[in-house]
Amino acid sequence: MSGSEQTKLHLNSHDSAVAVGYYVYCIADAARASEIVESGSPIPIEEGATLELINEKNLGAVVSRVPLATYGEEPLAALLTDGAWTAIRAMRHEAVVEFFAKRTSVVPLRFGTIYLDQSGVEQMLDEKSEQLTEIIHRLDGREEWGVNVYCDRQMLMENISLVSSRLRQMTEEAQQASPGQAYLMHKKIEVLKVDEAKAQVARAVDQIEGKLHDFSDDNVRLRILKVETTENGELKAKFAFLVLRSNFENFRNAAEELAVELSTSGMKIELTGPWPAYNFAAA
Amino acid sequence: MSSPFDQVLIGSDVQLTDESELSLLETLDHVLNRGLVIAGEITIAVADVDLIFVGLNVLISSVETANEVLRERERRGIAAVSPAKQAADQ
Repeated sequence: MSGSEQTKLHLNSHDSAVAVGYYVYCIADAARASEIVESGSPIPIEEGATLELINEKNLGAVVSRVPLATYGEEPLAALLTDGAWTAIRAMRHEAVVEFFAKRTSVVPLRFGTIYLDQSGVEQMLDEKSEQLTEIIHRLDGREEWGVNVYCDRQMLMENISLVSSRLRQMTEEAQQASPGQAYLMHKKIEVLKVDEAKAQVARAVDQIEGKLHDFSDDNVRLRILKVETTENGELKAKFAFLVLRSNFENFRNAAEELAVELSTSGMKIELTGPWPAYNFAAA
Repeated sequence: MSSPFDQVLIGSDVQLTDESELSLLETLDHVLNRGLVIAGEITIAVADVDLIFVGLNVLISSVETANEVLRERERRGIAAVSPAKQAADQ
């Protein structure tokens, strides 16, 4: 153990100097958070610990103690390169935030928010109380829904040939042309098809965003992490929508209508959620 | 239980996708890349989590690990609102 950067640390009850930090999951109204903590709790990021609340100015930070031998800056940086370790912790983080988000409005924090002592958390709550309170208020009664848009390329291309009158006409002309001409025309048709397909996907994505926007309070377009080719086709767009719980049925129905309408051109829509409002937690 | 999510799952024209891998990926994406970032006296700089995620993508190809992790949590269903049947009929 290096022990070089110990500051004011809490010791455990056995007198042994096990340095602990405070891992923060989310922030909620203190009174609500207190009721929820009493109603039971999921596994914290490290098994064996319990969830605690640190309160300040009507705000409650949901935390659990973590050993700094693991969660100090250096050891943690090393562990984070271990995907399995990180994935399990990320899941536990999510489970805790979800547990609270299902029961009250929370500000979900990003993975890895760790304070060296309780007063650090209190100070943060104090300094940011206005901003945090505003977010909690804004997210109240709302959930985040993910919308993934996929495209089955083959189906899209087949459909393009059918719906584009220009392409249809060119195809007919090519059938009557001489072999040499027909070859060139087919090349041209292929290029046009690709352009047309791109345009159609873009239109469909805009249409989805526009329509679902009407059934939500806020939405963001997310970056696609990697080119995912699934059984649904290729991932073309990802959105997050902030949806009022009481309006979810309408949101879902709108998504289904879109799915039906766009399915002939190979587009598929996938809903994921409900998520804590990770994408809408910024002030 | 009648959460909105259950309703999505049982909807007649909604199909379930193979959710395990995607669910894991979605969760990691949310937890590692989103959420409020609080600057200040915290022990780890979360700004570079993107780097971590690149490593995770590699890991996730290991289905075994993904499944192990998934057992840890309440399963989050993922519903694809894709009436594939109707589309195929046309």
